[in-house]
Parts: sequence; C-alpha cells; structure tokens
Amino acid sequence: MRPGDSVSWPHVHRPRAIGSHAKQEVPAIDLSDPRVALPRARTTAGGLVKSLLLIGAALTVALIAGFGGVVVLRLAIPDLPAWSGLLIGLLALVFVLWGISRRFAWIMPWYYVLPAIVFLLTFTFFPVLLTIWLAFTDYAGARNGQLSVATTTPIVAVDGNRITVSDPAGLNCEVLRNGCVDVRAEVYSFDLLAVTAVDYADGVLTLAEPLPRGREARQVEMFLPDLGFEFSTEIESVDGALVRLVSAPPFAPDLERIGIQMADEVDRRIVTLDGAVLTLDASLPADFEATAIARYNEYGFIGLSNFVSILSRAQRSLIPVFAWNVSFAVLTILINTAFGVLLAVLLNNPDLRFRNLYRTLLIVPWALPNIITIQVWRGFLNENFGVINRVLMLFDITPDPINWLGVAMAAKGAVLLVNLWLGLPFMMTAVLGALSAIPRELYEAAKIDGASAWQGFWGVTAPLLRTALVPITLTGFAFNFNNFNLIFLLTDGGPPVDWGTATARGTDILISWAYNEAFRSQGGYAYGLGSAISILIFVITVAVSLVNFRVTGALKEESNT
Amino acid sequence: MRHPDRRAFAWMALVALGTLLGVWALLGNLPEPVVRDRFVVVPNGWAFVLGAFALLILGTAASAYTFGLATRPGRAGRYALTSGTHMFIWGVILTTFYPVLYLLAVSFNRNDTLAGALPREGNLFVRAGVIPNPTDISTVQYEKVLSQTHMLPFQWVLIALLVLAAVGIFGVKLAARVANLPAYRTDGWTRVLGLGIFALAAVIVVSITPAQFYGVTEAGARVPASSERTILLYIRNTLLVSGLTGMFAVLIATTAGYAFARMRFEGRYATLLSFVFVQMFPGFMALVAIFWLMVQLDLLNTFTGLILAYSGGAIAFSAWIFKGYLESVSPALEESAMVDGATRWGAFWRIILPVSTPMLLFIFLLQFIGTYSEFILANTLLQGQENWTVGMGLRNFTTGRFDTQWGALTASAVLGSIPILLIFYAFQDALTSQQTAGGVKG
Repeated sequence: MRPGDSVSWPHVHRPRAIGSHAKQEVPAIDLSDPRVALPRARTTAGGLVKSLLLIGAALTVALIAGFGGVVVLRLAIPDLPAWSGLLIGLLALVFVLWGISRRFAWIMPWYYVLPAIVFLLTFTFFPVLLTIWLAFTDYAGARNGQLSVATTTPIVAVDGNRITVSDPAGLNCEVLRNGCVDVRAEVYSFDLLAVTAVDYADGVLTLAEPLPRGREARQVEMFLPDLGFEFSTEIESVDGALVRLVSAPPFAPDLERIGIQMADEVDRRIVTLDGAVLTLDASLPADFEATAIARYNEYGFIGLSNFVSILSRAQRSLIPVFAWNVSFAVLTILINTAFGVLLAVLLNNPDLRFRNLYRTLLIVPWALPNIITIQVWRGFLNENFGVINRVLMLFDITPDPINWLGVAMAAKGAVLLVNLWLGLPFMMTAVLGALSAIPRELYEAAKIDGASAWQGFWGVTAPLLRTALVPITLTGFAFNFNNFNLIFLLTDGGPPVDWGTATARGTDILISWAYNEAFRSQGGYAYGLGSAISILIFVITVAVSLVNFRVTGALKEESNT
Repeated sequence: MRHPDRRAFAWMALVALGTLLGVWALLGNLPEPVVRDRFVVVPNGWAFVLGAFALLILGTAASAYTFGLATRPGRAGRYALTSGTHMFIWGVILTTFYPVLYLLAVSFNRNDTLAGALPREGNLFVRAGVIPNPTDISTVQYEKVLSQTHMLPFQWVLIALLVLAAVGIFGVKLAARVANLPAYRTDGWTRVLGLGIFALAAVIVVSITPAQFYGVTEAGARVPASSERTILLYIRNTLLVSGLTGMFAVLIATTAGYAFARMRFEGRYATLLSFVFVQMFPGFMALVAIFWLMVQLDLLNTFTGLILAYSGGAIAFSAWIFKGYLESVSPALEESAMVDGATRWGAFWRIILPVSTPMLLFIFLLQFIGTYSEFILANTLLQGQENWTVGMGLRNFTTGRFDTQWGALTASAVLGSIPILLIFYAFQDALTSQQTAGGVKG
C-alpha cells in the first residue's frame, strides 16, 4: 500500500488479545465504512523531497537569523547571552513558515511534527553526530580545544617572529599529538594599571571609573594597611566599575593604592619549537610588549586509532566488560522473570482475598525513585556495618561477612540482588497484565474437558504466557543492558580487578566503561574512545529493539499504512 | 461430590495447634547467640527460621484443607492453596519491605553514624543491629537536614492549604467508599481538589528560592548553607526541572503524535522510524557534545539548559505514546467537527486535546518520574551547589562519608522519596499499566 492511499486512512488501532500475535491478518477494506471516503489531510501534492527542501530552507534561514541576530545585536548590547539567538531564530522560523504555508498549503502536516523535529535535531541528533565525529579525534580533557591558562609561560626575548621562553616545559607540549607544532597560542602583554576605588564589600571592588575596554583584567593587587602587606587575587568578573574578586582580602584594603594587572593578547600559531625558541606564523605588532605565552589544548582527527586501541586492549577491557554486560542483562532478566512469574501466578488466583492490597504493597520499590534507593542500598551493603551483612550473619547464612562492594564476584551478586529488589515489581505487574488478558473461558473450557487446575496451568497459562513474556523480557534486556544508574550509583563499576584496567573494572558495563574513559581518565585518548564505545552500544541496542519490533509487530503495522 | 465431614473440625484444631506449637518450639529453642567479629550470630539460625517459615506455610495450608473438608470438601484443595499463598506472600512482602522500613527507622534514630557500636540491651534483633535501637527514636535527623531552611509565612500558608486539599481528597474518597456514593457525585470534588493540589505545589516549588537556605551563627550572622542541610532546595530544584521537562514534552509531543496518528504524508514512516531510532543512541554519551552546545548557548549551569537537554529524549518517547493512544481513539469526533466546518487545527485544539487530557497527564507524569531519577546529565550540566538535584545531593553524602552522615542521608532519602511515592500511588493503576504496556504491546 502506498503512503497516501485513502483507503488506509484513518488508521484504526486494533487491540489484540494475548495469543493472537502469530496470525495477524490485514483487515479487508470495507468501502461501506463511512470513514474511508472522508477527506484526507491536504498532503499528497508536495512529495517528500519538496517538503524536506522547504523545511530545510526554513531551518537554514532561522539558523542564519539566530546567528546573525546575536552577532549584530552584540554590537549594541555586548553582554547579550547567546541563547537569545534561539529566540530570534524561532521568531524567524515562525515567520518563514507562515510565508511558506500561504504558498504551499499541503505542507501543513509537517508543521505539526516540526517542533519535535527541531528539538530532536538540536538536542539529540546534533550531539550524536558530534559524538560520532569525536570518536575519530583525540579529544580529551587535556585536549579540549580550550585555551590552557595553566601553560602560561614567561617570554624572555622577542626577535621578529621568533620568541624565547624562560621554560619550554611550562608549555606542557608532550600531551598534544604533535607536540607544540602547528598549535594555536595567545601571546600576552601584561602591565599594571594604578587605579583608585570608592568602595569595597563582600569580595566586590567598586572602582572610581570603569576599566578601559578591549583589554582583559586578570589580577588585582592591593595593599592591606592593617597588615602592612600586599595582597593579590584573581578577578572573577568585571562589570563596568564593579570588580568581583575570586578570594576576598582578609582585611580592608587601601582604596587609594590598587593595581590591576591588564593583559593585551594576540592570537598566533606556533610553527616550530626548538629548545626554548618558538617560531610563530607571524611576527608580533611593533608596539606589543610580549611578556608571556599560553597555548591552546588542540585536538584533531586521528582516524581509526580509537577503535584500534579498543581492539588492541580487548583482552583487558572490551571482552570481559562485554561478557559481563551481556551476562548481567541476561541473568537479571532471568532472575526477575522467574520471581515475577511466580508472584504473578500466585496473585492471579481469583480466590485470593486482599490480592489488590498485596499488589499495591509489593510495588513499593518501584514507587520510590531509584536514584535514591540505589544510593541507600550502598549503605546497606557496607561490609562491616551494613544491615545486609548483619542479617546474613545473624542467621548464620554466611560464615563470614561478605565484602559486597570490594570483591568482584560479590559486587556482581550485589548488583543482581539490588536489581531484583528494584525490578521485581515491574516484572510482576507486567506478567499480571499478561495473565489478566487470558480469557477466563479458556480455563472453564479446560475444566469442562476434565482438566485439573495443574493441567489448566500448563495447558493454558504457560503457553500463552510464554508468548507474552518475549516482548517483556526483551524490553527489560534493552533497559538493563544500559542500566547506568544502577552500576554507577551502586558499585561505581568497582571494585578494581587484576584483569581489568583503571576504567574497566569488576562490574563495569559498556556504558559505564565508556563514561569512565570519557570523563574520568586523563590518559591518551579519553573522550574519543568513549564515543567509539557508545557507537558499539548503539548498534547492540538497535539490534535488540529490532528483534522486539519484529516480535510485537509494532512497526510492521506502521509500514502498511 | 463429597459431603462435609464435621469431624474434620477436630483435625483442623489439632493441625493448627500443632503448627503453632512447632513454630513456637523452633523459635523458642534458638541456639544461644554468640558474637563473631562485629556481628551477633545465632549458630545455624537460618535452619530454624526457614523451618519455622515452611512449617507455617504447610501448617496453614493443612488447617485450611481440613477446614475445607469440614465445610466444602470440593474446595478444600483451593482453600489449602490460597491460605498457603497468603503466608508465602506475607513472607515476600516482609522481605521487600525490610529495607524500606529499616531506612525509615534509621532516619528516625538519634545515631548518625553507620559504624556505631551495637547496643547491648534490648531484644536479639536490636542487639544484632538489624533493627535500630528503639530507645534512640528521635526526629533529630530531620531537624538537622531542615535546620537551614527558612520558609516564608506565605509559604507556610500555601503548605497548610496543600495539606488541607490532600486531606480533603482523601476524605472525599473515604466518604465515597463508606457511603457508597456514585462516581458522578464525587468526581467534581476530586477534580477541583486535585487541580488545587497541583497548583499549590507548583506555586510552592516556584516560590522557594536559594536565598531561603542559610545558617545562622550564634552571633546571629547568616552563613552560607552547608551542602548537607539543603535537601529541600534539591527537592525543589528536581521538582522544578522534572515538572518543566514534563510540560515541555507534552507541549511539543502532542502535535507530532497527532500528525503521526491522523495524517498521511510522504515521509511519515521515515520520520517515525528516525524518531524511534535516534533516541536509542545512549543519550548521555552525547554528554560532551551537549555540554559544548550549552557552553555555546550560555546555558551551562541553568535549569533551562538542562530541560532543553532532557527534551530531546522526552519528546520522541512522548510523541510515540501519544500516537499510540490516538490510534485507539475513534476519529469520528474530529471528523464530524471537520464536516461541520472546523479546521484541522481547530479539531485538534478543541476536540482532541480536551478528550486526551488524562493521557496528557500520564505522559507528563511518566516524564516527571523519569526525569526525577536522572543523574548523569544533571551532574554534568549543573555545577553550583544551589542548583543540585536530589540525586546529586545524596551522591554528596555517599561518596565516602557514610560514617559521619548516615542519619542525615537516610532522612534526606526519605524526604526526597515522598513526592514520587505520593504521585505514584495517586496514579498507580494508570502509571503501572502505561509503563508495562510498553513491554506487553511493544
């Protein structure tokens, strides 16, 4: 059926009874159905390409308007926040769309979807693309593209475009890919400006007149008469004549004797580095009194190196982490499903009084926010003082207290145990839902045929439940495969093990390993490596979901319409 | 069909008595507890407890069976099964609840350290430390974590009104139950009170500011609040972010869900597919990219930035749910409106939105609860302590400081759980069926 065929519209949802999954027939088209003849959305005239072109054009105009608007308005209002560009762009978008819709009325359906598309593009799709690109770079904490203030090194001599620094080690070149070759840098010229202030209170200095524009104020030096000392501190921010200090002086400063260190800076590129002599891509301005230089944390394209390094260390990280990730997801689903089915079958007994009360009581772990309960469990699992070990010891279940968070095997057990407590209510409720969809008549028919309750269970409940369990367990698998909160907040991926690395430890799953690589290791390839792992996770998640969609037919119905 | 046998009553009494005696004998003859390391141990205690539990289940089932023989022999087997089930379920409930009750008990205890010495007085459980010492019951932990919170008079009034409305809604429900009132007589009241609760809660959340959290020294000077004493601010921040994310998701997702459900246009299926699959990318692995984006937009360390970052995932999911819901709603209503001359937008705005209010509420609540428990994105984007969410506040306790902050942690955990607990149970049926539907239907 082609999209836009009127006979398939409107699409009517067909609720299905459990057990009828296998044989889903496409319903015959009933032309006497009054809905079939009703007007369609005004859609088919345009076509996909034309719609996308128009919407793409509108978004481009909005993007340009947003960027341009901020750039232009900043000439008048220098402190304009960048997010105002979002509002300008939005306004432009509405205007352009209104214009388009007057000319092409058939584009209307896209307008309903557009707000969602814009947000998905900006806050999901764009970050994903950026992440994928970063997987092919050496982006890391030490190479984040920002100016590295820590590498500020004094300059001792200038000769055209060749400058000599006092201590080349201060530039910390070895963390960059090619040392300091072809790296952006700022050359500074510092001098002390003598000013007077009118007031000082709570870390804010009010100057007699605003600081000159165009130069950066870095430090304040002031004299404390009570102490007879000079005191100097960094500047947090400057707002006209108001200077906010990073740390407040311990005594009142002399308002007449205040020096503010001002910096001029020029942007250059380091071409070569030879001992203490740097060659820049261009010489400095004639009247520029160069005093210091700082480099940028440059990062760049490194091809497949991140993936190669994952594979080269696979024995110590990828393989064991992946194996535990899969076995965790499978085991936790098996355990939770077993207990969930047991409870649900018991609670599904219509003779059981208070069964609604029981159900309500049993879902309490689900009703508590897991971000809180997981962290409390961390305390319960403490080796020496945790209540779990106290109970186990009291009843002599274990001969010695278990070091839940300190031994890899025990930590894995703890993860499964806590996830049983957290996940059982969901499983129980889902299975109860599936059980209640089994028609009572089936049991009665079985009874009339002389089946006992036991036979009724194995002949009716079990086969129908098995069909319903497939999507439940697949959803649970996909969720637990990426259950970051549980691992991160309960064991933090720990404890460290000999076979692992600093970032891939006893209970780390792929996603927590990726997080550790990206945000916690300051090593050679941090973030890019994390991105590479998350691409792997994405592929696995999509595969599981595809199986799930195939089983439930959720998307198949869609493609027919 | 067998006839009731009155003599079975005697058997029943015998079995019940035997069970009670057996359980009593087992639990009464526990071996003398010994102290091993820092733990109180009852040697082989597990065998006694397990035995008593099994005996209780079997004994109950057996006496129910004999009771059945005495009254309705045909159902005796069922009686046995059902009463055994009751016992078993209570065992499960006890196990499930134990951590919750223990948490609650610790939060109402004077002891602030996890590592305190075990008490020497009291019954076996108290001496073993598996229940907190009842002689130390106190609200000191709550007083401590709330001590640097300074509510304004009008906020107290709003809170009082909120409590009144909550009591009112409970009263209406109770009255309906007791007097067996029909639903139409109580629905209006429930709705008004429910809306009132929502509105009051929203006003309270918005009106609380970080400036209300400070310590007061003995000299009367204000000092910045300690990060362990501002749980209420964290709750307020989390409620604000979750609430706005939920509303935002509903706002953006409804039109998209409507278009997917009711309109046929080229590219519809492809768009739907990309909605479903794009959000499968492990969202927070785009963290650095989102962080970079927020820096560029000057939205770092703001709730606006966090809400926008959440919206990406929330919108695709909500649109999918709303589409599924609309497909189960007959299009006859809007069609008749359109035949009567309403535009499509008019039909959507005046017909579809009012009809789907309950569904929109549930989408909101699902997003709300989901966002409440989000940790990692908040941890990356929010930096100042006054912007922390509940999860970040608790994390601050758990990173290595159990020894000194255990009591404050538990009190904060209880306070932080209350909003979600109340919402969950107020909308229990809808929420559980909605969330499990994803698994059952796909």
